[in-house]
Amino acid sequence: MLAAGLGHFRHERPLATHGYAVTADIAKSAEQSAAADAPASRSLLGSMHPIVPWIVAWVLLLPLPFFLANAYTQFVVNVICINIILAVGLNIVKGFAGQVTVGHIALTAIGAYASAVFATKVGLPFWFALPAAMLVTACAGAIVGIPSFRLEGAYLALATLGLAESVRIIISGTDWLGAAIGYEGIPPPYIGNFSFGDHRSYYYIAMPFALLGLYFSFSILSSDIGRAFKALREDPLAAAASGVNVRKYKVIAFVLSALYAGAAGSLQAHMAPGFLHPNSYTITEMVTLLLMVVFGGIGHIWGGVIGAIIVTIIDDLTRDYYQYRMAMFGSVIVLTVMFMPKGIGGIIDHFLVRRRFNAIRKRRADERAAAEGKGP
Amino acid sequence: MMHYGNRTLLALLPAAMLATGPVSAPAQAQDGVIRIGITLRMIVENGLKYGQMSKDELEAANAAGGINGKKIEVILLDDECKPDKGIANVNRFIHQHKVHLVMGSTCSSVTMPMVDVTTKEEVPQIVPHSTNANITKKGSAWTFRTSVSERFYASVHAKYLSENVGKKVAFLYTTDGAGIGFAKDYMSFMEKTYGEKPVYEAQMQETDLDFRAHLLKIKSLNPDVLAIGGQLDAIARITQQSYEVGIPKKVRRVAASAASNAPVPELAGDTAVGLTFAAAFSCKDERPVAQEFVKMVQTKYNVRCPDHDFSQAYETAQLIKLALKNAKLELTDASLKADRAAIRDALTNIKDYSGLASGPINFCADPTPQCRDGNRTGILVEYTKGGKDYDMRVLARVSFEPGFGL
Repeated sequence: MLAAGLGHFRHERPLATHGYAVTADIAKSAEQSAAADAPASRSLLGSMHPIVPWIVAWVLLLPLPFFLANAYTQFVVNVICINIILAVGLNIVKGFAGQVTVGHIALTAIGAYASAVFATKVGLPFWFALPAAMLVTACAGAIVGIPSFRLEGAYLALATLGLAESVRIIISGTDWLGAAIGYEGIPPPYIGNFSFGDHRSYYYIAMPFALLGLYFSFSILSSDIGRAFKALREDPLAAAASGVNVRKYKVIAFVLSALYAGAAGSLQAHMAPGFLHPNSYTITEMVTLLLMVVFGGIGHIWGGVIGAIIVTIIDDLTRDYYQYRMAMFGSVIVLTVMFMPKGIGGIIDHFLVRRRFNAIRKRRADERAAAEGKGP
Repeated sequence: MMHYGNRTLLALLPAAMLATGPVSAPAQAQDGVIRIGITLRMIVENGLKYGQMSKDELEAANAAGGINGKKIEVILLDDECKPDKGIANVNRFIHQHKVHLVMGSTCSSVTMPMVDVTTKEEVPQIVPHSTNANITKKGSAWTFRTSVSERFYASVHAKYLSENVGKKVAFLYTTDGAGIGFAKDYMSFMEKTYGEKPVYEAQMQETDLDFRAHLLKIKSLNPDVLAIGGQLDAIARITQQSYEVGIPKKVRRVAASAASNAPVPELAGDTAVGLTFAAAFSCKDERPVAQEFVKMVQTKYNVRCPDHDFSQAYETAQLIKLALKNAKLELTDASLKADRAAIRDALTNIKDYSGLASGPINFCADPTPQCRDGNRTGILVEYTKGGKDYDMRVLARVSFEPGFGL
């Protein structure tokens, strides 16, 4: 049902519409060759419905809280799930579409506060507050995307930074949002009388959202929207010349990314003890988020996931060394950019591509050998 | 369509998430040691020293064989004045280190959600620095405060200055908890007590550097008092700029309690002279106990004039030791809940504790601000010299009834 619902993302129109027919042929040929060379076990994987691996992953992740050391580790895993949603969302606008934004943290704040307001002042339960907050954040995302029509690179980064700071400052000065004291009393999600107010049960809210976020991200990347994003990232002029509506796709990238930020913000707001404060949405948090994406690999969905897991764990482990924490974080960013510019995702990609092309080379060598053997 | 590689990675996701288990240490088993978690804002001027002094004071008991023969172990973390970090720290203390008591934090915005967590998990928490009145209004049976609540501080200024200087007050404050709390409580007291509204009120950002436009308007209104709310750098800057725009010296500058921190007179220089603030302690306190403390901080932590954040952290450590001494603790896994309750009960029995605080500290069993705001005496301090060799004098000492300002 879910897959059917996502049909519009999975529908792959002929790439020729965007001027990529030749590239697509090569990619298709490589994929077919790889499929032909895949061992039987992988043929089994290939024959599965695309939703099956996700369901398997969900089932495997279900008992996770029972294997964790204590409630604090469960809390950390929930934070990881939320960070995965944030990193994967940021990857859409930054990694797929190549837009340099540092305003993602402001969108997260908007999502968090919108969800809190819907839950406490309007009285909506979490299940309605979350989608409502996502919609509000999507609108904000569209507004953030407007400067990208005329600005690029560092200039766009500056514009989005200004916006991020404005949001934090507005919240700090708005009494009915708790101002600088903080917004408290945000209820946890409920199903009937069952509360998701403890860390173990909240995992069953955060984890499915993280998986859903990942699934949507793959769907977006493999759709015509995803290919338009990539064209935009490589060269906006060439993309426009090939028929990609640059403005439209820039706004779509910001809106999709904002939907993720809204969901993550809402999950932050409703996680116990249900407290929000503008200090949790500063430039420091944005840099940490960027580190997740850069360390994991810009433009690699799995990179965002790996980055979110590793950075959250490092953040936790370095808590005891508070004097040196920020210096350590800064060093990791500098070293990653210097020696691993494509991040861990880049390394994994390199490994996967090499494996795929080795398989093609081997098949062709075998074919040649067979042809020579049969020859006159 | 996902590639096989992506599917492999998807299959590895549960394994990666599971790896967080071994990465985090397992919950601490109870082994006859009293564990205390301290979370403060430490990456600020003297912040590390507040934390280190609290840790040293508590662990000093170990050198004398511990408390009732039980050793103390302190876990010290920085929360950066960020609620999410404070929440993470307190969860770590409670679930991973299985602490018996939590001490923290500095910023009210961090302490507020921490109180929710300690209340739910039934762990005693003692607040050394935060001043927001709502902390004890939450009605938690597990929360105690050593610092003086804003509801007392604001009235120390307002009462003394209204009676001795004047009632025309201009307010300039930043949008942080300390700035807003100071200004709102002062305004509320003036309106309720004297029916006086502010002659000017403006809110600025914490990061603002130039306040001259507001100060020029204030100058034209000729107030009796200029009330400055915010953190220490904003206070120093506003004080300095108020003289630059020509607001005369006869207009009394009064600031939030952050003005007690050393960088304020150092940054403001000569303009700090006459700046008045309410605090819980002054290094000019002549009592032997206070001078002994000042000497200890000068020797061990190289701070010439310890402010009230030093004294309150020290006081909190002494109160914790006193409560631990009077609590019957078994310190086994099975007794953890009972041990926490015993420490809470021992804290409620602290009466008329006389230490560095400007007045005696009293706690009682009811989970109300009357019982849990332990220190109800504020002092009004005035800088008599600015710069590196700053000096000060105590203008007034005001004690309040437990229910004052509620």
